Amino acid sequence: MRRDHVAGGAVIGAGAVLLAVSVDLPFGTLASPGAGMLPKAVIAAIIGLGLVIVAGAGASPRLAEMSWGDLPHALRVLAVAAGAAALYTVLGFIPTVFLLLLALTFAVEGKPLLNAALFAAGVTGLAFALFSTLLRTPLPRGSVWF
Amino acid sequence: MEATLDSLALGFSVAVRPDVLLYGFLGCLVGTLVGMLPGIGPLAGISILLPATFGLDATKAIVMLAGIYYGSQYGGSTTSILMRIPGEAASVMTCIDGYAMAQRGRAGAALCIAAVGSFVAGTLGVLLLTVVAPPLAAFALRFGPPEYTALLLLGLVFLAYMSSTSLVRTLLMAAAGLLLGCIGIDVMTGHFRYSFDIKELGDGIGIVPVAVGLFGLGEILSTPSKTVTAKVVSPRLAELLPTGGEWRQAGPPIARGSVLGFLVGIVPGSAHIIASFLSYAVERRLSRRPEEFGKGAVAGVAGPESANNAASTGAFVPMLALGLPTGPVTAVLMAALLIHGVPPGPQLVSEHPQVFWGFIASMYVGNLMLLALNLPLVGLFVSVLKIPYAYLYPLIIAFCIIGVYEVNHSIVDVWIMLIMGAVGYLLRKLDLDPAPLVLGLVIAPTFELSLRQSLLMSSGDYTIFLRRPIAAALLAVSAMLLGLAALSALTRRDWRGRLAAAEAGDER
Repeated sequence: MRRDHVAGGAVIGAGAVLLAVSVDLPFGTLASPGAGMLPKAVIAAIIGLGLVIVAGAGASPRLAEMSWGDLPHALRVLAVAAGAAALYTVLGFIPTVFLLLLALTFAVEGKPLLNAALFAAGVTGLAFALFSTLLRTPLPRGSVWF
Repeated sequence: MEATLDSLALGFSVAVRPDVLLYGFLGCLVGTLVGMLPGIGPLAGISILLPATFGLDATKAIVMLAGIYYGSQYGGSTTSILMRIPGEAASVMTCIDGYAMAQRGRAGAALCIAAVGSFVAGTLGVLLLTVVAPPLAAFALRFGPPEYTALLLLGLVFLAYMSSTSLVRTLLMAAAGLLLGCIGIDVMTGHFRYSFDIKELGDGIGIVPVAVGLFGLGEILSTPSKTVTAKVVSPRLAELLPTGGEWRQAGPPIARGSVLGFLVGIVPGSAHIIASFLSYAVERRLSRRPEEFGKGAVAGVAGPESANNAASTGAFVPMLALGLPTGPVTAVLMAALLIHGVPPGPQLVSEHPQVFWGFIASMYVGNLMLLALNLPLVGLFVSVLKIPYAYLYPLIIAFCIIGVYEVNHSIVDVWIMLIMGAVGYLLRKLDLDPAPLVLGLVIAPTFELSLRQSLLMSSGDYTIFLRRPIAAALLAVSAMLLGLAALSALTRRDWRGRLAAAEAGDER
């Protein structure tokens, strides 16, 4: 199994799912194109290009040779960011940004708690001043705190 | 010519207003930092800061965002020369001889040559832009829906042909972008497409969450903090001025790189990256001492640095004159203009002259600012490079979330950004360049509308694209490029291979 077998296969699979989702979109005619004409044509092109990638997959690196060493770090960062997205409008700007920065520097990067907390508090304060005071941007207040 | 000079005078009256100067300066400063810091490219920088321009008028917004773009080309050279880390992709070639010069104690001279080369190329590029863009825009006023359909198709094919990855992969990503652009209400029939009962998707997917996710968050996810080191060669400011011999060696490569870069920049694709690679290959081929390349050749710094700056200016020609983005950065800049109610394209010059000419004039001023910023303040920028990445990237993620949310005050946009971040990470793993996806997303509404209008106009007769001379010519060029690409694939001898061979020194 090589990298482009996976890449092309994923593209073809995604194309097939999208085509199934698009069945209710009217294609129309050439004289009166419907809402589904371009999406269906593009999906067909995507599936075709996916097939070309699979056909040429022999020249791509083996899947086992690919480095996934950065995946755990990426997943941790993504999980923290997703947590922040979930809390942003619930807790509000200040607590969410503080917790996001604290979690990334302390929990993900392993920096000392005091350093991480000072960094998170300082940056949150500066960001609040920048967006709320200088740029006058309405920030989410949240139902728990500001 | 007199009309152009009058219009340019109008532009300067806008560009030298203190408030416009301030935002131009901020753009140049942020751009320099964005270009220097590994993990944030100009696209991520512009996307993240786009929401911060919503309170500004269109002129200030575009002046600031464009300043980030061409400022990043200057900044990219600093990390390349001092750390051997390209702050952004176009600076890869500068790493080779720039860092070698730094190792020989000529870091200051290399920085000075890079900055002066960038200034000369940037200024020459703006001069050419001043001359070329208005007549091109006047010509494009003759375009109707069939011509626009053909033009956008040509843009996509050109992008794929000139892309540094494969044609098939680039077309695939552009098609994915087109499909993403179809999400939301169909403007001609009122049908909801792929909105899955999420009302926020009714208006479609915004370019900001997609661009910030793919290029801001995606880049961070692909860059583990442990791999970013900060070994900086500190330049000696006393040695900032190159010697007379170094100036003589730098002059012709700067001139060649400026012209080559501008011409390559007009063509859709990874123009500034290709321009710097081409310039390096050209300089080595023309050099009397090609063996010096890789060991600190002045031409190896002067040529590519000039070329990538001229290319970033050249990329504005089709964007401003035709409304055609040549790459993801110009696509985001186009989106910025649209958000501010100023559609780029042929009407920009006639309907919004203060924006068009103010923007052009600001680039003359911006290049001067960047020269002033990049030489005396190099020590300050070097200290910024010492901020540990483990503290830097959380800050960027926070700005990504805040910025994306602020566009529509929609948490759905933040979730889209997170999903796109994960997609961006996977795409990089699978060697699929996410840049054409953004381009496809931006042109999708115009492409679909002009295609359907063309078919309606002709009662379904697709030969309308062949009966109109401009559309037919544009389609003929697209077909020729696809034919060339197919020929290259069959003979396994395309320009990417030649470029790689030239870069590796195998082909002289």
